[in-house]
Amino acid sequence: MIIQEIDLTKTIIAIATPPGQSALGIIRLSGPKALEIAMKIFRAKTELKAWSLVQGTLIDFEKDEAFDEATAVYFPAPRSYTREDMVEIICHGSPIILEEVVRLGLKAGARLAHPGEFTLRAYLHGRIDLLQAEAVNDLIRATSLTQARLSYGQLSGRLSKKIDSLRKALIDLLSQVEAAIEFPDEGLQINLEEISRKIKEIVREVDKLIQSHDLGQAMMQGLTLALVGRANVGKSTLFNALLEKERAIVSPYPGTTRDYLEERIKIGEFLFKLIDMAGLGQPGHPVEEEGIRRGQALASQAQGLLVILDNSQPISQDDYEILGLAQDKKAILVINKIDLPSRLERRQLENFASGKPIIEVSALHKTNLDKLRKAMLEVFPPAMRQDHEEVIFHWREKVALERIKEALTQACEKLEAGYSEEIVAEELRPATEVLGQLTGEIKSEEIINAIFQEFCLGK
Amino acid sequence: MAIIGEYDIIVVGAGHAGCEAAWAASQMGFETLLLTIHLETIAQMSCNPAVGGLAKGHLVREIDALGGLMGRLTDETGIQFRLLNRSRGPAVQAPRAQCDKAKYRLTMKHWLEGVPRLTLFQAIVIDLLVANGQVRGVRTLDGSEFISRAVILTPGTFLNGLIHIGLQSYPAGRANEPPSIELSQCLRRLGLKIIRLKTGTPMRLDRQSIDWSYFTPQPGDDEPVPFSFWTQKKLENKILCYLGYTNEKTHEIIRRNLDKSPLYSGKIKGIGPRYCPSIEDKVVKFPHHNRHQFFLEPEGLDTTEIYVNGLSSSLPLEVQREILKSIPGLDQAKILRPAYGIEYDAVLPTQLKPNLELIEIENLFLAGQINGTSGYEEAAAQGLIAGINAALKLKGKPPFILRRDQAYIGVLIDDLITRGVEEPYRLFTSRAEYRLNLRIDNADERLTPYGYQFGLIKEEQFQKYLKKREKLKKIMIFLEREKISFSAGGSFTLKNYLKMPQVSLSDVIKYAPILEELTAEEKRFIEAEIKYEGYLKKQQREIEELNQVNEIKIPEDFNFQEVPGLTREAVEKLGKFKPRTLGEAKKIPGITPATIINLYVYFKKIKQAKTKKPSEPKVSRET
Repeated sequence: MIIQEIDLTKTIIAIATPPGQSALGIIRLSGPKALEIAMKIFRAKTELKAWSLVQGTLIDFEKDEAFDEATAVYFPAPRSYTREDMVEIICHGSPIILEEVVRLGLKAGARLAHPGEFTLRAYLHGRIDLLQAEAVNDLIRATSLTQARLSYGQLSGRLSKKIDSLRKALIDLLSQVEAAIEFPDEGLQINLEEISRKIKEIVREVDKLIQSHDLGQAMMQGLTLALVGRANVGKSTLFNALLEKERAIVSPYPGTTRDYLEERIKIGEFLFKLIDMAGLGQPGHPVEEEGIRRGQALASQAQGLLVILDNSQPISQDDYEILGLAQDKKAILVINKIDLPSRLERRQLENFASGKPIIEVSALHKTNLDKLRKAMLEVFPPAMRQDHEEVIFHWREKVALERIKEALTQACEKLEAGYSEEIVAEELRPATEVLGQLTGEIKSEEIINAIFQEFCLGK
Repeated sequence: MAIIGEYDIIVVGAGHAGCEAAWAASQMGFETLLLTIHLETIAQMSCNPAVGGLAKGHLVREIDALGGLMGRLTDETGIQFRLLNRSRGPAVQAPRAQCDKAKYRLTMKHWLEGVPRLTLFQAIVIDLLVANGQVRGVRTLDGSEFISRAVILTPGTFLNGLIHIGLQSYPAGRANEPPSIELSQCLRRLGLKIIRLKTGTPMRLDRQSIDWSYFTPQPGDDEPVPFSFWTQKKLENKILCYLGYTNEKTHEIIRRNLDKSPLYSGKIKGIGPRYCPSIEDKVVKFPHHNRHQFFLEPEGLDTTEIYVNGLSSSLPLEVQREILKSIPGLDQAKILRPAYGIEYDAVLPTQLKPNLELIEIENLFLAGQINGTSGYEEAAAQGLIAGINAALKLKGKPPFILRRDQAYIGVLIDDLITRGVEEPYRLFTSRAEYRLNLRIDNADERLTPYGYQFGLIKEEQFQKYLKKREKLKKIMIFLEREKISFSAGGSFTLKNYLKMPQVSLSDVIKYAPILEELTAEEKRFIEAEIKYEGYLKKQQREIEELNQVNEIKIPEDFNFQEVPGLTREAVEKLGKFKPRTLGEAKKIPGITPATIINLYVYFKKIKQAKTKKPSEPKVSRET
């Protein structure tokens, strides 16, 4: 969080409902002038009372003209979502009306809210913690059911609980180290091997969470799958078939797709990002050449590949090269055009597939697409194991956990190399601080509490 | 009412806090009156006969580096000296000494008697003279009034003290000494929030009635480390302490008699310190422990009294006797003074400013147990700071506030005023974020220039300090340049060689005889600075980043209503505390991050506006 970018003296405004036509829309204002600005745009029929819905009209104050019916609610600070003065204006959901209200709000002195700024303000005023703040955002943007379910799980604090248990383990660890330092006269039995064993245990837990980021990412953003194949094997036809819409231009001529296209689809509860690209092989045109270059780069970055082969052609040198791309990746080999007479040697391909599933489809006639979708769900998503109860979604969390892991590992190394306890404690300190960014900061008082719970000390 | 005298500063209470406060105030040029209930008990060690230990020893070094008395007095009257944690790194090593209690208080009294501008007087203060939110002096039991421009209160456990032995209790400040009941009422009348705390002390035994063969001797160090940077004389160990253990039989007796404990019968309402638990507490909270250790510590050279460190209790005297009977070696022991628990009043320290002055009453300073701390060292440190700040206030100078990264004193006071206390507060090294820098070996480096600036460190001492610094700088450069090669291969500077975990300074001395000139303390400094170098540099960067935001200045007499977006509560608080920097504003209880961000944005804008202006004329000239 960059302190320089935040100015809580400004009142912010934004459309709170998703873009597009809908029956009702909501505009939110938050900040010291929320009421003042709202009163310029909204003329209440009865007196505006806190926390109650009031009817009125929307006014273009520049022309002094009413332009729509609306209702509004005033939430005085601190009993509002952001803990600031807030007003919500509820009007017809037409984008034109909504945007007009925002425009007038800006004229009246509000600033357009940054994405997530309402939630950020709620956090800054201490209404919600960081993990909750992020979960709220995810819930708003959730594009698949899995995502919504996971976001909800996080909102209700499951990840917070896991992080809390890590926090407890760290406090326990520090209390052992600190007790050894603070009470040299008490004859405490503090076993350094035990401490290093405990550190390693926490590292394993942290590691599990770090690993879960892949799954979290896949669920939030969708897995990137590249459709690769020679020119004219029907990549774009398959792309459109999977999307169930005519997104890519298809033609019988090789090299129709010169740049690449990107679309999201949901299969089951899972989100995929499909990339259709120019056929790999002999380029015929400089634009196509550039398309191919970009395509190859994308293919190598993609988390999975759909390798498309033409049933009506024998396997060519280009096909082998493309299959080579799939060697170290999760991939499905898709034999397209099964509606045409087969000239593709199945056995030859099986030898090369090294266990990767081979699915036969006709993209044109939409044959066997369900089979392909089923295979995609089986092959690509990261394993959803039982112990993946907690999933982290954000880079910030992953980076924080990696730093915690690093600090713990350093501490363990120093301990085993025979450094004194104050150095071990120093190495552990960043771990507690970083953890503080995820959940509540560990205060020295808590470590001291833990020391006195565990050890009988004092004279 | 007769006005008996007029002073600049009055200090009420001559314990460990009061003595340091009176010393600092008078040294800084102010006519100072030190009032005590009993002149014989100036600087009395009410509980254990020891000074120092982890964090506490650090505090004493800091007091000493600032020019306070406690370190010198401990060296002067110590009878056994130990450096704790010798096996660990220099940052967590700290001195501890057994003192001759009688000699300790008599020496302090003797020293104070010779201080210019300082007057000692025996009296019981019952009231504070306050007018227009400002303190004007004190009134004593006999109706006399003493007028002053500032008052420092250091009443210790005397504030509404109530002693418990078993289910019997009686008002007292210390065994058989009268408490200050009226003073506590006076503080309540002034609208201060008062809390009730509890502490305790163990029984004192007759040395001749103990069979010493049952206990393990605990000798002092072969080479005693002094507390004070200025101590020249060689320190000597004159006594042994002894280690012993309780047993199942002892615990059985305690369990059987818990109904007679004022603590467990609910008679004591005050909250006691967890780090100083009574023996009944230990037995109840750790039922699976089949023994608890205790130390037998002589209270001095000219007394037979033995302090039983670890057997603090508020059980009735007959149970205390029974407990002793259950322990071989103490079965015949005669109790000279019974153990007791004591409840006392303290002022919730969140009502203080960082200079230890009350927010609501100008020029009234509090230090020591009244602020919710326990321990001689914590008290002395606050006393010194209160004395310095009262003097600075009267001089019209800015207050002396140590940061958490500068000194344990800074950690102590910051904890008190920002977090308050729920139990008697004791300092621990783990409370400090920058522990590796807050060391006993660099306390002078950190603080002596301040002591000199205030006039508490004499010119001669300061020159000695500067010389030492110069010498250590040279040694450091030498270690950075001098290289050694090993036949097994590899060539290191001596500094890098010393950085290895298994290498100590004594391994380096054979390559650098120049190091032999150094005192043990100077060696500790060199070793710490080199071994911790990476950590210290990293911490320094952190501190600087933090201070950049913290040091944003707020103009004097600034009207906080000018800052948009502040709540009325925030404006009120800021107006009252008058923070001079954003860092100080952060410390004000109840100030939220949102308020700080508002202030930050506001003052940042002012700064930007200021820096933009000069460039304007240039532009206009060109066009």
